[in-house]
Amino acid sequence: MATRFERQLEELHVQMITMGSLCEKVIKLSAKAIEGEDCAGQVFETDREIDAKEREIETLCMRLLLHQQPVAGDLREISAALRMISDMERIGDQAADIADLSRFIDRDDVQVPDEIKKMVEQTVHMVTESVDAFVKSDINLCRKVIADDDKVDEAFNNIKGQLAGLMHGNMDVKVGIDLLMAAKYMERIGDHAVNIAEWVEYSITGVHRNNEHQLGGN
Amino acid sequence: MTKRIFKSSILASAIVLVLGMACVLGVFYQYFGGQIIGELKKEAQYLSYGVELEGEKYLEQIGDQDSRLTYIDKDGNVLYDSMADEDSMENHRDREEFQEAERNGFGQAERMSDTLSERTLYYAVRLSDDSVLRVSSTQDSVLALTVQLIPPALGILAVLIILAGIFASRMASHIVGPINSLDLDHPEENEIYEEVAPLLSKIHRQSGQIRQQLEEARRNQEEFGIITENMQEGLLVIDAYTMILSGNSSVWRMFRVWEPKIGESVYSLDRTENFRRLIEQVLEGEHGSTLLRIDNEYINLIANPVSRDGKTVGAVLVLMNETEKVERENLRREFSANVSHELKTPLTSISGYAEIIQGGLVKDEDIKKFSGRIYKEAQRLIQLVEDTIKISQLDEGENPYEWEDTDVYAVAKDVCGHLKDVAWKKNVHLFIEGRKTDCRTVRHILEEILYNLCDNGIKYNREDGTVSIHIREDGENVRILVKDNGIGIPGEDVNRVFERFYRVDKSHSREIGGTGLGLSIVKHGVTFLGGTIDLVSEVGKGTEITVILPKDGRKEA
Repeated sequence: MATRFERQLEELHVQMITMGSLCEKVIKLSAKAIEGEDCAGQVFETDREIDAKEREIETLCMRLLLHQQPVAGDLREISAALRMISDMERIGDQAADIADLSRFIDRDDVQVPDEIKKMVEQTVHMVTESVDAFVKSDINLCRKVIADDDKVDEAFNNIKGQLAGLMHGNMDVKVGIDLLMAAKYMERIGDHAVNIAEWVEYSITGVHRNNEHQLGGN
Repeated sequence: MTKRIFKSSILASAIVLVLGMACVLGVFYQYFGGQIIGELKKEAQYLSYGVELEGEKYLEQIGDQDSRLTYIDKDGNVLYDSMADEDSMENHRDREEFQEAERNGFGQAERMSDTLSERTLYYAVRLSDDSVLRVSSTQDSVLALTVQLIPPALGILAVLIILAGIFASRMASHIVGPINSLDLDHPEENEIYEEVAPLLSKIHRQSGQIRQQLEEARRNQEEFGIITENMQEGLLVIDAYTMILSGNSSVWRMFRVWEPKIGESVYSLDRTENFRRLIEQVLEGEHGSTLLRIDNEYINLIANPVSRDGKTVGAVLVLMNETEKVERENLRREFSANVSHELKTPLTSISGYAEIIQGGLVKDEDIKKFSGRIYKEAQRLIQLVEDTIKISQLDEGENPYEWEDTDVYAVAKDVCGHLKDVAWKKNVHLFIEGRKTDCRTVRHILEEILYNLCDNGIKYNREDGTVSIHIREDGENVRILVKDNGIGIPGEDVNRVFERFYRVDKSHSREIGGTGLGLSIVKHGVTFLGGTIDLVSEVGKGTEITVILPKDGRKEA
């Protein structure tokens, strides 16, 4: 028979999965928003849901910490969860920002560069995999997500260059800046996905890679 | 049990020991008392002779003695006492032993001291002159004796109790030993106290029952396992907290997990919104179903709540792979849409031309041209309907086709005969290579396949091109290669040409003719005959289509 504590831990796990899937949803929606679909409303709605979920999970974690005084692996899982939800919440916010930006891009004038679409795809993939890594406690998947971040960073640099060229040409500078910011937000989302993966890794191994190398926080 | 036996036996021995000692003490005390009286009596008698002869002086001569001697005259005055000063002593007339001696010639008495720690025994003898000689001896009282005896008695008691303890523990383990070493797996085979026998036979009966029930439970479980494991459908049982209680291997296969996820949340299998909504719904006690998309498969998920005492305690989820059904449905929908569209185009032309003619707006010489067009469109319509019928027949697979030994070469030759004119018109060279090759198949379908392949080869060819049929035996199979050096098919279309109504070049299809069903019929036909088809093509160079048919197709079909 599962104890009350185990029940609550499981509940935490389920809530985390739910929040993770909300993150996946919000970023997929924001990707559609960049492509020109009118789904900003849905994005904001989902972002609100994510915020509510964050508070719910936070309360649950606090209750677990105060009432059960967990140790070792359980404590790690809860503290990792507390860190992960703030990253997930940031993902929600940035997706909302992207959706907000893309409302002001005039579709008739602008062709969204393929590079951005590709980058969005990669970021969505990273978020999905980081949530997957959490669900499956898969350390290899964590490492893959962490490694994938370089690709997204590189894509961002390419886009920066490309947009600079386009703005120098005939692209509306305002639109160019909007697109650049959207790309930057995507790049940040990728970083949050990495953070999540790092915390998953920490909750499995007990060592956070930033502490391991004494590099300090990011 | 050992403890209990040990306790009771050691308690019993302790009680017996203490009581025994007390009794012995009492008995000895009495005995010693008697002995002392006897001694006093003898002493008094001896002394009385001496006193009769020598009087008081005799007593003084004797001097120090263990017992106290008192000489009392007939009035009770003490004449001599060996321990106290006779002058200070009071009159002894009222002493019990004195009075008794005066009466009977001798008397005895005993008195306790004030502290009760001693008792004094007296024996008095009346002498001839009526004076009395009293001898007395002081003895410790029972109480004093007891107090004195306590330390050694306790010592002895302790030693004895330790001994008793050792024996008791030996005895206890001796009694309990056989009980401890009972073989409970075979209770009836033990030889032990008869008092335990009914218990053992009860255990035997019950263990039999338990074994039977276990066996039954195991068999049920096994049956259930066999049933669920062999189900194509996935079966998943979850509790009210979304934890997976059990699931069969189909479930893990469908969700692409390689090890059972029992004990984890069902959300670890799938966390899409559809799925979560359904789980939430079913755990609130409502039935529901949804279509999930996992990779390229469609899974129909049916969820039923499990209630106990009006409360939902879990859910049973049934998952069915409906990919084929959904895909076929899609295909059918697409097909109907395409057929209607394809039927509509020639009909619109026919109706258009007819309307113009009806309006009388056409010159006489044009009427022939127009009716020619109407005829051509009607022909196209007929061909389309025929093709549609063919493909539906193959789809249904219900027609009783006749399987017969067929010479593939002869069929190919017939087909070439039919197509000779068409090929000549397009200036395409058509030839067959191979020899008589027998194959058990459906002649009509084989003809259709070869006709369509060659027809395509000719239609999509260029001036002065060639189309060749190569027939070769290949072990158990017949390999038919239809090769042309025509326009070829672009790479991205290669996989789609077998789809119904799929046209590589949509804009020119009208000029070339055909219904877009040709290769689809070929593909269906080959599948029906139990063969395989393979297409290799390069734009501008030509296309090679290899059909491999089993020689004895019936067996595999």
